[in-house]
Amino acid sequence: MTTKSYTALWFRHLKTDWFQLKQPALRDKPFVLSISDHGRKLVAAADPKAESQGIFRGATVADARAIIPGIEVLDDIPGLSDKLLGALAEWCIRFTPIAAVDAPDGLLLDTTGCSHLWGGDQAYLQAILTRLQARGYDVRGAMAGTIGTVWALTRFGRQAVIPDPAHQRDELLRLPPAALRLETVTLDKLQKLGLVTVGQFAHMTRSVLRRRFGQNLLRRLDQAFGREEEFLQPLQPVEQYQERLPCLEPIATATGIGIALQRLLEALTKRVQKEGKGIREAQLKAYRLDGKIEHQKIATNRPTDNAPHLFKLFELKIQEIEPDLGIELFTLEATKLEDLSPVQEELWAGDQGLETRPIAELLDQLTGRFGSGCIRRYLPDEHHWPERSIKPAQDLSEKPAIPWRTDRPRPTILLPQPIPIQVTAPVPDYPPLLFRHQDKVHQIKKADGPERIEREWWLEEGPHRDYYCVEDQDGARYWLFRSGHYTGDRDQQWFLHGYFP
Amino acid sequence: MVFTRLFPVKRKAMAYTELQTTTNFSFLRGASHPEELVTKAHEYGYKEIAITDRNTFAGIVRAHGTAKELGLRILPGCRLDLLDGPSLLAYPTDKEAWSRLSALLTKGNLRAEKGQCHLYKADVYAHSKSMKFILLPPVALTQNFELDESFRNAAKEYREAFGRSLYIAASRSYLGDDTKRLHRLTQLAGHLDMPLVATNDVHYHTPDRRQLQDILTCIREKCTIQTAGFRLYENAERHLKPIGEMLRLFRQYPDAIRRTKEIAEACQFSLDMLKYVYPEELTTEGRTPQEELIKLTWEGAKGHFGDTIPQKIKATIEHELKFIDQMNYASYFLTVHDLVRFARSQHILCQGRGSAANSTVCFCLGITSVNPAKFDLLFERFLSSARNEPPDIDVDFEHERREEVIQYVYQKYGRDRAAIVATVTQERRKGAIRDVGKAMGLSIDTIERLLHSSWRSDAELYDEQRLKEQGLNPKDKHLIKVLDLTTQLMGFPRQLGQHTGGFVITQGKLTELCPIMNARMEDRTCIEWNKDDIDILGFLKIDVLALGMLTCIRKAFVLAKQQYGLDLTLANIPQDDPAVYEMVSHADTIGVFQIESRAQQAMLPRLRPKTFYDLVIEVAIVRPGPIQGDMVHPYLRRRDGLEDVEYPSEELKNILGKTLGVPLFQEQAMQVAIVAAGFTPSEADALRRSMATFKAQGQVTKFQEKLVNGMVAKGYTSEYAHRIFKQLEGFGSYGFPESHAVSFALLVYISSWLKCYYPDVFACALLNSLPMGFYQPAQIVIDAQKHGVEVLPVDVNDSGWDHLLEPRSPGSGETPATPGPRRFRPLRLGFRQIGGFKEEDAQLLVAGRTSAYTSIPQLRAAGVSQPALERLADADAFRSLGLDRRQALWEVSALADRPIAMFEGQPAESAYEPAVALPDMTASQHVVQDYASTSLSLKAHPVSFVREKLDLLRILRTGDLAGCRDGDLVKVAGLVLVRQQPGTASGVVFITIEDETSTANLVVFHDIFMAYRKVILQSRLLMVEGKLQIEGEVVHVIVKHCHNLSPLLRDLVTPASRDFH
Repeated sequence: MTTKSYTALWFRHLKTDWFQLKQPALRDKPFVLSISDHGRKLVAAADPKAESQGIFRGATVADARAIIPGIEVLDDIPGLSDKLLGALAEWCIRFTPIAAVDAPDGLLLDTTGCSHLWGGDQAYLQAILTRLQARGYDVRGAMAGTIGTVWALTRFGRQAVIPDPAHQRDELLRLPPAALRLETVTLDKLQKLGLVTVGQFAHMTRSVLRRRFGQNLLRRLDQAFGREEEFLQPLQPVEQYQERLPCLEPIATATGIGIALQRLLEALTKRVQKEGKGIREAQLKAYRLDGKIEHQKIATNRPTDNAPHLFKLFELKIQEIEPDLGIELFTLEATKLEDLSPVQEELWAGDQGLETRPIAELLDQLTGRFGSGCIRRYLPDEHHWPERSIKPAQDLSEKPAIPWRTDRPRPTILLPQPIPIQVTAPVPDYPPLLFRHQDKVHQIKKADGPERIEREWWLEEGPHRDYYCVEDQDGARYWLFRSGHYTGDRDQQWFLHGYFP
Repeated sequence: MVFTRLFPVKRKAMAYTELQTTTNFSFLRGASHPEELVTKAHEYGYKEIAITDRNTFAGIVRAHGTAKELGLRILPGCRLDLLDGPSLLAYPTDKEAWSRLSALLTKGNLRAEKGQCHLYKADVYAHSKSMKFILLPPVALTQNFELDESFRNAAKEYREAFGRSLYIAASRSYLGDDTKRLHRLTQLAGHLDMPLVATNDVHYHTPDRRQLQDILTCIREKCTIQTAGFRLYENAERHLKPIGEMLRLFRQYPDAIRRTKEIAEACQFSLDMLKYVYPEELTTEGRTPQEELIKLTWEGAKGHFGDTIPQKIKATIEHELKFIDQMNYASYFLTVHDLVRFARSQHILCQGRGSAANSTVCFCLGITSVNPAKFDLLFERFLSSARNEPPDIDVDFEHERREEVIQYVYQKYGRDRAAIVATVTQERRKGAIRDVGKAMGLSIDTIERLLHSSWRSDAELYDEQRLKEQGLNPKDKHLIKVLDLTTQLMGFPRQLGQHTGGFVITQGKLTELCPIMNARMEDRTCIEWNKDDIDILGFLKIDVLALGMLTCIRKAFVLAKQQYGLDLTLANIPQDDPAVYEMVSHADTIGVFQIESRAQQAMLPRLRPKTFYDLVIEVAIVRPGPIQGDMVHPYLRRRDGLEDVEYPSEELKNILGKTLGVPLFQEQAMQVAIVAAGFTPSEADALRRSMATFKAQGQVTKFQEKLVNGMVAKGYTSEYAHRIFKQLEGFGSYGFPESHAVSFALLVYISSWLKCYYPDVFACALLNSLPMGFYQPAQIVIDAQKHGVEVLPVDVNDSGWDHLLEPRSPGSGETPATPGPRRFRPLRLGFRQIGGFKEEDAQLLVAGRTSAYTSIPQLRAAGVSQPALERLADADAFRSLGLDRRQALWEVSALADRPIAMFEGQPAESAYEPAVALPDMTASQHVVQDYASTSLSLKAHPVSFVREKLDLLRILRTGDLAGCRDGDLVKVAGLVLVRQQPGTASGVVFITIEDETSTANLVVFHDIFMAYRKVILQSRLLMVEGKLQIEGEVVHVIVKHCHNLSPLLRDLVTPASRDFH
């Protein structure tokens, strides 16, 4: 059995480091992230500059402001640490296949047998730390034979040192009990009893310890000293719909990327086909030599297992991948899958408007070629003001969040710009008698209204509109409105805004 | 071509009454105050207007008050939102119908939790007699342009239940289908033979309140204005419209307009018809209230003065009784007396205060213990001068036992006859900014910034400079909108709370007058009206308040009886004892009622009270009112003879004579307005109120003009008039009435007397009454030790839950009756001092202590829980077992795993455990642990452990400061006890620090504070350098520099740091 080797990484300022990366302006001033807790605002994370002034996690923002009056306060993003740690763990996969998130601020890597490529443990650990630090993270790390030991060393012990198994024990004995990953209650009790290093109690009879501090303390001690094995929860349970393509020679050309993509697509579609599924979204990742990862994502309007179609969608994006010095690894993952049942196939054949496969594929291609927004589909949006009562749909499958309104008459064609018209109407709120539009005079035979709609005052000031549904001598129906109360300047007041069927 | 009017509206004598008005007492729906709506209606020429809030009458009295002033008539009513049917508007036509409607709402309130009202159709049917109803149709028609079928069915059912009293509402809110809807409603009305009546569903008094109404909708729906969507109304038509406009809108339905008048004519009920009746059961043997009062008063007088009542007292009593008879106040006095009698029967200490409380009658009735013979408080001066409203007596009860009195009231009179008055919680500046900010979609951080950039006072909301400092753009339109809406929202009622203790008690059912609702607290019920409302209607209110010091005094009385055999009462404590005044003059007042604060302590050596009235002044003078009005220094100068006492006129001399020409009491300020500026008493009262509520900003200026002009007209200088106004302004919110100060002064004297003669009793009672007052247990204990009281630590074999006085061991007894240097009873700290220790555990522990505990398992066997044992160990309470806290904790923690059931009683496993040597604790570690567990230590003061280091830095002991000279530069360090930044002191921060010798008072001016704010806010152990300022006995350090010495303390706890290498 080979000797196990683990590496622990500790990101002391994970979230604030990330904010600084996103907003370089934050590098020069102290700032904190805040969360609301029962109406109070608490510091969720403080950057090193704020910490040096005595502001730590858990303080109130009011106190932080009292200490540093101009301190920048940003809203914390829920779930950010997990997301960042997930991404960092993924990044670490270049160093080891087994990386685990150690919430809330660390990573644990199973580095057994990994370091020889980097010329030894010391260089390996140094490489990880240096590269992470270069990316802007304040990180500490250690490497040793048990998870318990590396965790303790990164946080309480000597950084970046790899004690051989004999020294691990001595190192641990000098550390405070908190290094053993114990509950606060136990730590408090140990503290009160004056047991401030692991060495003061590690030698005690097991039953003495168990009776007072419970089984967990013993378990943690055993784990740290390697008497009990501990297992990592690897970040990614091997991706089911992911294909990997490592490249012997770094690839730096579009053709190369295209070939790689084709091979990946074939493998992936074959796999989903076997399981009767279709791809809705897929993501291509290209791991570059310099450590960057290039992402390209495509989405389809219908689940598909058609490799050439998917390739066409990706093809448009190949140009956007910058290989730089070259790409060492490609992965292709289907991030969203849906069942591709035969029943649906039949339905498609039935030519149900948007539900046809060719249209979906055509739309995918048009969108890919001309950019999103060239063809739009509209959905209702919850606003009284007519211009804001519709919004473009994101894709073919998007369902309206609210039903189309039926309690108020709304035209099937709404003009993007209301057209001024000349109107003859009695005041103050009677419908018009006739209106002139594009040199045609429309005699109004039937009318309903007014429906008075005010502007969304938080967006714009201006007069309200009195809308009327009217029908002219030809039976054509229009949506007209008068802007504001009658003022005498009738030419400026009336508009045509839509057509009813 | 344009037609001016197709169908010109005939402006004949058609009148309209608005019958559907939602005020902002339909919380988060109505966007105008009732006053605003009524005023606007008056402007438009309405003769009457209905108020119909949702399931509540809460806003009606205000509307009624305003309407009365303007000569309008209010149709009281409400909108009944039902759980099983369409909503109805309901209007009582007579007093009985009002009572029924009120009972209906009560029913709905009491079956729901606070703030909700659950009503069903059946309830309404049962209460519908002599009521007019208007049925509210749905907002929209169905897709087929029909009225919803379930609505039509409900309408039919209602029609059968209510008959001809039911109308159906028609509104034109410009929703597009108004015409169709009106058509359908007319059809339905015709079909069911149910008249159509016009309403405008008013939600605000002017259209520009639409924005605020939208914001209210967002707050209600917990969304932002961007996401509110169709929850907002699409237009601003729900405002009160001019009568002519309503006539025009309903020109095709003139009947619908006319019927508004028909309803208005039918509903002749007015709130003025509600008459308050005192409860009857206050008298005995068929006496009238006045006879009963006369009997009780003379009985009481005999009790106080013996059979020969002094002639002067006799005359006063007769005078007062006659006055009470004239004003018909006997029932009121009897009601108060009843509460006091109950409290006394339960040995609950109480004390009345307020204008009428200091009368001889109240003294005789035992409502107050202040002997009126010593004052010339002409009580009818304040009664008769104000409007014809009941006299004001607040009764304070022990805070721990007030609930008993409250439940007595409920029990005696029943919940249908007694309830607590409501308080209307208003949107204050901060809440309004938060609410509007959130609704407008601002981030939490921006809202915080806004809060920071608004002024302390409510007068001026925002300042461009401060907005900029917070990184906000004062020109930003969205921000301006937020600020504008915030200003509008401020002063809006937000919810109904319960008054701290104001009761309304009636003879008949209270529900006949107004609805009763559940309070948030269990076992409490309230009415919907607040004290201003019931003032307007002339209801009696009686205040049942809580006062911590009374608890403390009662506990002290009990201890004094146990330990020294004394029978003390509020009335029999020896008065005018020079030793007590001497102690008070040295500001030796920690724990004493009212005069223990730092500001009071700084004033005491200057004022040097020598008589009871000096204490009255002391209580009243150290208040924001007199301080802001700049009255303190003139008074002190005059008292010390440094300034002549003069009066601008003879009439003011009468009012201001006893306070040397400086107005110190609220009554004086109001009297000045009446006498010198020609205010009527009710105007003076209105002036006081307008200053207390920030809402009426505009009115203050109006009153200022009136006061100044009035005074100038009477020959006072304008400068003096302005000064008086400024003083009045200070009083508005913070002034203290003399009648209250007198009652408080008595408690000041009594607590001082106890402290002076029985510091052991006083400290023990005080510790057992915490939390109250300004001081922490540690300071109270230190103070007791300074007064010669031995304080003993918590111990499992000696302590109880409460702190105790230990009886002196036999043989050392002596008679303690004579004051002078004596040995006091030792004070044994109780288990209540241990953080997190539960009373049940203490009880089990004491119950199991048949003989002294000798081992820890015995305590466990007595039932004391494992966590409790750990807390006892933390508190170092096992010393009598020969264990220190660390050894005890080691033993205790093993008990979690002790032999139980059939193995119980067998030796624990720990008996066979190998001995473990735990590290010894240092004395300083013990002290720090003592603080952590019991928030005080009897072993030593933390600062004493770093004294050597402080000496090296040439830092003085606080106790040495008094020996220095004024102006000396000194360095001093101590634990920070209090940091205070009073609103009145223009940014000055007052800090009190404590070391092992004493405390020191620091004054930090604003610029120094800004320079050292971080040090000041973060230090546990603060060292300052500064200049001494010694005025007589008052010693201050004017701080120049600050240093944080807290790291010295950290070394006390853990020599081995847990930090990184």
